[in-house]
This record gives sequence, C-alpha cells and structure tokens, in this order.
Amino acid sequence: MNTSLISLELAVVGLGLAFLLLDLWTPAELKRQLGHAAAVCTALLFVFSFFVDASYVREAFASAYVMDPLAIYFKRFFLLAGTIVLVLQVQYADRIKSGISEYYSLTLFALAGMMFTASAMNFAVMFASLELVTITLYVLTSFQRNRLESLEAGVKYLIMGGLASALMVFGIAFVYGSAGSFVFIDIYEKSSTLIGNSVFLIGLLLVLVGLAFKIAAFPYQIWAPDVYQGSPAPTTALLAVGSKAAGIVLLLRIIYGVAPGVMHQWAPVLIAISAISILYGNLCAIAQTSLKRLFGYSSIAHAGYLLLGLAALNATGASAVLYYLTGYLFTVLAGFAVLVVALQQLDSDDLSGLAGLNERSPLLATAMTMSMVSLAGIPPLAGFFGKFLLFKAALEEGAMQPAFYWLVAVAIVGVVISIWYYFNVIRAIYWPRQKADLTPITVPLPIKATLALCMAGMLFLGIFPSIPLELTSRAAAVLPWLH
Amino acid sequence: MEVGLNHYLILSSALFCAGLLGVLLRRNLLIIYMGLELMLNAANLALVAFSRFNNNLDGQVMVFFIITVAAAEVAVGLALIVALYRKRQTAHTEDLTSLKF
Repeated sequence: MNTSLISLELAVVGLGLAFLLLDLWTPAELKRQLGHAAAVCTALLFVFSFFVDASYVREAFASAYVMDPLAIYFKRFFLLAGTIVLVLQVQYADRIKSGISEYYSLTLFALAGMMFTASAMNFAVMFASLELVTITLYVLTSFQRNRLESLEAGVKYLIMGGLASALMVFGIAFVYGSAGSFVFIDIYEKSSTLIGNSVFLIGLLLVLVGLAFKIAAFPYQIWAPDVYQGSPAPTTALLAVGSKAAGIVLLLRIIYGVAPGVMHQWAPVLIAISAISILYGNLCAIAQTSLKRLFGYSSIAHAGYLLLGLAALNATGASAVLYYLTGYLFTVLAGFAVLVVALQQLDSDDLSGLAGLNERSPLLATAMTMSMVSLAGIPPLAGFFGKFLLFKAALEEGAMQPAFYWLVAVAIVGVVISIWYYFNVIRAIYWPRQKADLTPITVPLPIKATLALCMAGMLFLGIFPSIPLELTSRAAAVLPWLH
Repeated sequence: MEVGLNHYLILSSALFCAGLLGVLLRRNLLIIYMGLELMLNAANLALVAFSRFNNNLDGQVMVFFIITVAAAEVAVGLALIVALYRKRQTAHTEDLTSLKF
C-alpha cells in the first residue's frame, strides 16, 4: 500500500479532527477566527498538491483507489472550493448560533469525502466517500437549528438523499451481481459481454439516478431549490460547487470508464435528461425573488449543460466538462461571497436586499454583476467559453446522432431564457424599484481577496483559455474510453 | 426445492418495492425513514445472495460498508427529525411548507 496517494485526504481529515480539538482550548471570542486558520491550511494543501506527483496513473488498494491527472485536478478543485467556503463561513459566523468550530470541522470532513470521490475506482469506495459527503451535508444544511427553514431544508435533503443512496446501492448490487466485480476497470474490460444483460443495465441505470441526485439533474432535481434556499449560505455554496463536482467526477468515471458502449446506446436518454434539466431550471428560475432559490434553479440548468458534455462521449466533451466546472466554481462562489456580505444585516435573501449595492460597495456590485454575466454565458467571461466548448463537443457528435443538434438548439434557447433572470439580479442592484438604504458596506479583507481571486479566475478562463484547456484535456485523457 | 439466486432476488426486489412504496406513499417522516432502511437492507440481501452465487466475498464486504453508513445516516437523520419536531411539533411531510416561492 502506498500511503502517499491518500496524503492529501489524510491531511484534510486530520485538520478536521484538529479543529474539533482546538475548539476546546480556544477562548469564545477567538473561535470565529479558527475558520481563517482552517482556510489557510487548506490553501497550503492546495499549494502542496502541485508537488504531488500525478503525471502518471498510480493505484492503491487493489485498483480501488487511483491517483491520476483527473483525480488530482478534482482534488485541487475541491481544495480551492473548500478554502473559499471556509472564508465565507467566517463571515457568516454571527448567524450560526451553535458551535461554529463544528461548522468548520464538518466542512473539512465533507471536503475530505469529495477528495476521496475524485480517486474512487471501485463502487465500494465510491459509495463510502459519497456518503461521507452526503451525511456531513445533512448536518451542514440544517446547521442553523434556530431557523425552521434550515431544519426543513435539512429534512428534505435527508429524505431525498437517503432515497438516492438506497437506489444507488440497489443498483450497485445488480451491477456487482452481473459483472462479478466492484472495480471499474474490471467491469470496463467485461462490458462488451454485458451490453445485453438486463440486470446489468437496470443496475447501471439506478447508479446513474443516484448520481443525478448529487448533480441536481432531472429526474432528481426536485430537492435543489428548497435545500438551496433553506440552508445557511456557505453550505449552499458548498452544495452548489463541491457536491455537484463530486457527482460529475463519478459520472465521468462511470460514463467513460465503466460501460461506455452502453452509454453510447443510451445517448438519446442522456440527451433528453440534459434538455429537460436545462429547460426546467431556466424556466422555473424566471419568477424567483429569493437569490438562493434562484441559484438552486440555475444549478439545475447548469447540471443540464454539464450533462450535454457528458452525453457527447468524446474527448472534447470530457475536457469541456472540467473547464465549465472550473469556471462555475469561480462564478458561483463570487456570487455567494457577495450574498453573504451584502445581505449580512437582513434576515432574508430577497433580491430587493441588493438594491443600491453599487453605491454601498462598488466592489460587491461589480463582482455580482460579473458573476451573473458569466453564468448567463456572455463573453468574455468563463461561462461563455465553457458553454462554447460544451456546444462544440455536442456538435462534433451531431453527424452521427442528429439529436445532438436539437440538444444544442434547446441549450441555446435555455441560455437566452437565462439572460432574462440573471439580468433581473443586475437590475435589482443598479435600478431598484424602491428607495434603497445606502449606508456603505465595509468589505473585510479576506472577502476582498476571495472576490479578487474569483474575478481573476472568471476573466482568465474567459480570455486565456489555452493554458487551462491543456490542463483539462490532459486530465480527461486518462479516461479509458478516450485512450 | 432448491432455493436459488432468483428466489433471493425476488425477495430482495419485493422488500425494495415495499420500502419504496413506504417512502412515496407515507406522510410520517419516521415511517418514511423506516422505508429507506428497508430499501438499504433489500440491497444488502441482494449483495449477499450475489456474493454467495458468484463465489466471491467482495459483496459481503460491501454489506458491512452499507450497514456502517446506514447507522451513521440513521444517527444524523433521527437527530434532525427530533430537532424539527421540537421546533415545529410535527413529523408530517405536509407540514413542511416554509420553503416555497
């Protein structure tokens, strides 16, 4: 066994335990600052991850766990997201009435779970690490126990998450029963003989349904708006970015690395799911006035865009998914950073709370505007180039499967619809309906740094795509289907 | 009569469907939760049966993972339902209405 493969995850678990203990000896007024210490530690781990050798494929635990360019790409992604979410949590601390240190520790455990999923090459490891993420998120969503909304979000997430994991486990049992193994690569080698085996197909379908829950795609999208709205804002940010990416990395591994032949046959199903997610998310988001709920619906639509790249089943698609997800990280976390700071004094997250933000704090208004413009997919920001790559991947397959042309058409209609509600947010900032309270907001330094990072990321991914594109295509190249 | 793989799978699927119907039709959170546990245990039964008939112990190891995870899930889930009950004095799904647009 080679422990260097799991050193990053062990470090994150260790950090989580250390912060639980540190809480005992930290005076109450300093507990809030533990979050900054945790964020510094995860940022250091992010830097350290560049010294971990992942240029070739290394395996541990009988091929159950792998360290390859794709795994390290996602580990860095999660560490970056975790760092930003921890900074947001410090800012949110005064609204958490019970045990802020546990909030930080649980976030670190969820982060460790996400990093484990990035390396999972076996259904057992996949299940255990996904559940580590999901169960910690049950606690994180309901962390404001004094607010009914938060508890309700937690219970809804619990029931839907429990149902998803039960479906997934049953699917895993069927896949194991027909293929005789849990290891992805073993099943991949046998997959040509399994293509007509209905037990295998039912099992695979149930596993995919379980993963659709993680990324909030149709037919398992129903929880997203409620849970996004009720949870504390930093948890929502973690759900939107981390939990979705954990689902995506597993979908990549399974679609491209377990039974690509079956997935090729199922392309029409994936296309339909992608199209319905895009339309459902974008149409429902139009009427929303709660900012977090709007992010919930927009998250469903973005799951649809990501599925578009997964359904294409080619190298461009896999690399575009990684590219889009990275742009999504900067974009969504910038939005949530603004949400946490700008709505600090208010109890609600209604759009009207953003009124006059450009006079209260130009930095926050700029960041929110950029975030919305990037989500809508308008050049020159990350969201535009990401969508461009996804559409390109789908069009490449259009010659073989004309349904892809229709899918791209639906996706473009979705983008046009989405411009409407994203610009509604911008209008709420610059042209408020009522007279706004114009007291200036002082933005704390860590949030300023976060916003600067996110805005730089959005611009960089939008204007200089060649360097990140090389990274994403190298990461995607390890998937067995693309060899 | 010899009890074969199919018998186990039919029993397991029946348990799974019973659990699923419980989750979909019942309105009490605790009963829904029992339905979820039933679904997980149906999967356990299928795994053990497949493991026995595949002559491969991996499936039984997976069952231990599932039992452990289910225990953690129950611990968190029941705590959450109790917290909700304290706040709202109800454990029925139709009373969960504070989140809507």
